[in-house]
Amino acid sequence: MDDGLLALPDPNATQPAAQQHLLKLSLVCFVLSEYNEVWRDSRGQSPSPPRFLDQSSGCVCVSAAGDLEEVLESAERHEEEERGKEKGQERRRDKKRKRKPQRTTSQPGEATSEETAESEARRGRRKRGREGGGRGREGERQEDEEEQGQRGKGAKNKKNFNNERRRKRAQGEQEGGGDAPRRQTHGRGQSDERKEETKRGGVKRPTGPAEKKKRKKEVENSSQQESSEEEEEEEGGEEEVKPETLSPEELEKLKEAVDDRKKLIHTLRGKPWSMKKKLTSLGESQKFVEKFEGALGKGKGRKLYAYKVLMNKKWMKFRRDFENFKTACIPWEMKIKEIESHFGSSVASYFIFLRWMYGINLILFGLTFGLVMVPEALMGRPYGSMPRKTVPRSEEASAMDFAILWDFGGYAQYSVLFYGFYNSQRTIGWLKFRMPLSYFLVGVGTVAYSYMVVIRTMARNANEEGGGDDNNFNFSWKVFTSWDYLIGNTETADNKFASITTSFKEAILEEQESRKDDNIHLTRFLRVLANFLVLCCLAGSGYLIYYVVRRSQKFALDGLESHSWWERNEVNMVMSLLGMFCPMLFDVISALENYHPRIALQWQLGRIFALFLGNLYTFIIALMDEINLKREEEEVVKQNMTLWEAGLLNESRPENSTAPPFSVHPADTPRGPCWETMVGQEFVRLIISDTMTTYITLLIGDFLRAVLVRFLNHCWCWDLEAGFPSYSEFDVSGNVLGLIFNQGMIWMGAFYAPCLPALNVMRLHVSMYLQCWAVMCCNAPQERVFKASRSNNFYMAMLLVILFLSTLPAIYTVVSIPPSFDCGPFSGKNRMYDVIQETLDSDFPPWFSKGFSYVSNPGLVLPFILLMVLAIYYLQSTSKTYKQANLELKKKLQTQNEENKKKNKKAALKAAMELEEARKGPRHTSRTSPPRSIHAGVGTPEHPGGLGGTWGTLKTSSKGRDKGEDHGRGQRANQGKGGQQAPSLRDSGGRVPGISPPAPRSHTHQTPGHMPGNPRQPAPRLHRVSSSQGHRE
Amino acid sequence: MVSPAIALALLPLLLTFIIRYRYYFVLFYRAVLVRVWYDCRTGLSREERAFQFILTHATPGDPDSILDTFDFWCSKVEFISNIGPKKGKILDRLLSEQCPLTVLELGAHCGYSTVRIARALPLGARLYSVEMDQRNATIAEKIIRLAGFDDDTVELIVNPSDEVIPKLRSEYGLERLDFVFMDHWKKCYRPDLQALEGSGLLGKGSMILADNVLFPGAPNFLRHVRGCGLYEWRIHRASLEYIKGIRDGMAELVYQGVK
Repeated sequence: MDDGLLALPDPNATQPAAQQHLLKLSLVCFVLSEYNEVWRDSRGQSPSPPRFLDQSSGCVCVSAAGDLEEVLESAERHEEEERGKEKGQERRRDKKRKRKPQRTTSQPGEATSEETAESEARRGRRKRGREGGGRGREGERQEDEEEQGQRGKGAKNKKNFNNERRRKRAQGEQEGGGDAPRRQTHGRGQSDERKEETKRGGVKRPTGPAEKKKRKKEVENSSQQESSEEEEEEEGGEEEVKPETLSPEELEKLKEAVDDRKKLIHTLRGKPWSMKKKLTSLGESQKFVEKFEGALGKGKGRKLYAYKVLMNKKWMKFRRDFENFKTACIPWEMKIKEIESHFGSSVASYFIFLRWMYGINLILFGLTFGLVMVPEALMGRPYGSMPRKTVPRSEEASAMDFAILWDFGGYAQYSVLFYGFYNSQRTIGWLKFRMPLSYFLVGVGTVAYSYMVVIRTMARNANEEGGGDDNNFNFSWKVFTSWDYLIGNTETADNKFASITTSFKEAILEEQESRKDDNIHLTRFLRVLANFLVLCCLAGSGYLIYYVVRRSQKFALDGLESHSWWERNEVNMVMSLLGMFCPMLFDVISALENYHPRIALQWQLGRIFALFLGNLYTFIIALMDEINLKREEEEVVKQNMTLWEAGLLNESRPENSTAPPFSVHPADTPRGPCWETMVGQEFVRLIISDTMTTYITLLIGDFLRAVLVRFLNHCWCWDLEAGFPSYSEFDVSGNVLGLIFNQGMIWMGAFYAPCLPALNVMRLHVSMYLQCWAVMCCNAPQERVFKASRSNNFYMAMLLVILFLSTLPAIYTVVSIPPSFDCGPFSGKNRMYDVIQETLDSDFPPWFSKGFSYVSNPGLVLPFILLMVLAIYYLQSTSKTYKQANLELKKKLQTQNEENKKKNKKAALKAAMELEEARKGPRHTSRTSPPRSIHAGVGTPEHPGGLGGTWGTLKTSSKGRDKGEDHGRGQRANQGKGGQQAPSLRDSGGRVPGISPPAPRSHTHQTPGHMPGNPRQPAPRLHRVSSSQGHRE
Repeated sequence: MVSPAIALALLPLLLTFIIRYRYYFVLFYRAVLVRVWYDCRTGLSREERAFQFILTHATPGDPDSILDTFDFWCSKVEFISNIGPKKGKILDRLLSEQCPLTVLELGAHCGYSTVRIARALPLGARLYSVEMDQRNATIAEKIIRLAGFDDDTVELIVNPSDEVIPKLRSEYGLERLDFVFMDHWKKCYRPDLQALEGSGLLGKGSMILADNVLFPGAPNFLRHVRGCGLYEWRIHRASLEYIKGIRDGMAELVYQGVK
């Protein structure tokens, strides 16, 4: 454009088309140099160049200026007051370099616009329709002619001819045959602008480079609004360099601008903008603030400030690193996070649960290991010193066989791992460690600790839940809260997306069906049928287990050696198999019921729970039978024992009466069956087989399957991955239940086998790694990714129930069955808890035991229990009232919200009405004074402060037009009609209600220039703008 | 020796399998056992039996009637893996949206999908239908003609698809394919798609619809589509034709051209 204005010979006009890239480069340089010259000229002659700069065009010039540093600097010498700015521009040049080609090609006028047309055509990017291009060309030509007519300069005429020729050539070169690229349409927009401009300028236009310059800038502004932003930053940049040169007034302004930016950053979240705009304006504002905050202080203070900022940043970074470090310290945290990102939070919740369980077991293990096993192993009597600590003679030969050890027989049975090994000696070692007491207290302590932890966790979770029904805004909840933000894997995200959509579909269907409720009888029938089938299944599995346990007792009576491995391990095998496959069957059956997936999941969990519980209790009942058998056997052994002892005494007495009564090797002594050890062994075996089944199913069901699916897929006749076997999904509910029941068995058996917590810790540790690996390596993300937060407490409740149910049999055995007479820490006592009384009697002063007996008499205990019940009741009722109060508050909030909404609606309506009225006003004004509206439309920089109502209108109007249309047209239309653009105005009105159309214009007059994002400029700004405006008109 | 109790414990697993995969058992029964049984009894091929049934039950010249009869035979009498009515509706919709002028169908089988496509075509459009098997092709030809589509609308090419595609431009004078429907051997999906890409017949906006990409499934095809970036693609999920419980899908690809 400026070549047009300056009428300089165009070297490119004669260049062959083959050297296009060279041509382009030279053109760019040429344009740039000219540009700068123009600028220098303009500044040399015009008295008020900074105003033009304020008109948000300086940046364009600078960015266009590109490499021509010297030119700039010479200009700087000319203009004292401009110095700071130029430096800033110089500094920014590096940043701009990337954008520079675009800018230069798009902005400095016709020659370059053609240039871009060529290049664009070559690149073959988005092409518009042929007509658009044609129109664009025509528009340019027209505009050129107009310009010629108005200026009437011969040289320029020549130039325009040149342009024409070149343009034609360029058009011919376009391979698409006239697909006019976007740039050209831009050019057209410029030309339209310029037409307007020339019309305007025709009234009163001083000739001279300054005016040219100004016009050019305006055109550029109109075509590329975003430049204003940069320009503003640039201006700031200058000031950063030399804050001393700034007048206090300017400093003040800068400060205000920074404050505004800061405010914007804070309030950005609530702005009704599109995300893109928010992001860009946020970034810009942050940059701005970062840049200029330091400049605000002076001298020393500034340095200190910079230092402070630096330290603050360092501190933030350190804190972030420290947080990372802390996360890295949490065991398996990273692993779980990774899984969470792949599989959603429900799967991760299992692993978190597993970790929590691991922690609890670690403490249980610490208790039993530190207070029971280690003292006994270190200070108790060594192996072989007593009958209970020795392998009997009959088993000695096979005691070290692996098969026996694997079943926890042989040497494993006669070790600290089991109840029977412990001696009833009251104190052991030099520490006088009260072994039986410790054993008993540890048993009680594990259970008490578990109760405490579970209940505390439940209470904490209950707090998070909050009260109230969530059925109120079902769809809103779905819309706004269903995304799981922790997902980082695309496939999972796809699945989540699909599950959200399906849940929407289902919810809609549900809504419909809740109104229809047809064929309810069939559904009811099906549900009853499903429950019946499940009950049958449960009963069958219970009976099978009972049968198997009875059979195994028969085998045990016969002697295990005469039976095969299958028969010996029948109980465990059957229990594991049932526990594994019955849930699958339930799952299949539950398809009949047609429940919502969440409800279905709860049913499923409940059924599995019932199954496991049934199996466990069948097992325990069978164990009780066995205990009774063993006790009968014990009676017999006791009698035999006295006979045997008597016989032994009789034998030994005649020979020498002073000899010690027994000299028999402990291995040869007859002994009782020791039912406690038997129970412990059973539990340990159960745990081991359960663990093995879990791992083996993991390896076969998941890993092997995944391998087969993965590698056979290439040579299979159907798609294995998407079709039948596919990859397995991680079964959260089953795994959680498995974990819970495993823990229940631990709690049940830990009293009789102190090794159980240790085993469980090992198991959990291994399964943590194994399952993490298996999930990441062979499982596919669930098709229904659901969130876990709700079900978490459900698991906890189940854990509590299991804890209770598993402590019941343990307590029953401890309280009601007398301990074996010749094994365990309580041998010789009538009941196990007698150890407490014994300790009280012998270890505490007599007053204490007296007091204890007083306290423990029913007269005191009963009132105490009553008091506790009352307290519980009181707390319960208060919590209920709190909950209700919460609900009330919620309701209040809701109603308030609704009222606010209504109010807002009213306000918006009112504002719209006002707008509507006011719009009639500006229509007249815009018709009477079109240049003004042009100015408002054109000279407005886009500032993120958002009050640029006009920019909004501009944008929307240009966007509102079809894509085939171009910016220029939209702008022109907007300018021509002034405020007639109804949708656009409404748009701006919607954004800034209460501002009547003239107001935004005045704002746009205020805002241009200096400070980006400064919606309300201070008064001093006005005179500049108005002066420039006055200059223009 | 495994004890009976353990065997009993495996019963739930067996039941689960039977219940969960019952549709596959049904499919196996209908597609294999019944077919073998009828083959032995009548001495005709399955397609011939279908043709006889249609000849006796459908109205000649009425594509709708022929399609309905086909559906009836496939769902009630025997099983032939046509596209089926449900997925056919998707096909119809896509065709009516696209309004293609040149359509290529790979795998005509007995002509069900050919009739279905030809029915939905706009005036002046032409359908090239490729069938590899000679016997199926004769049946398909008969059914197409029975439905009232002449040589100008539907051209049946009896040749394997990998031989036909390179010759489409030279022998059949095709410039561009607007719509391609794939329902032949699932293994051939990917090679044929690549051949189509190579032949240059696909223009921007050409649509390719591949049936049965989930069951029996064409994993290589899907992988290729995902990987190559030439297409905008989506999968229409539906169930397998004539059997509700088996999930299947059709892949809809829109050629975007080389970027």
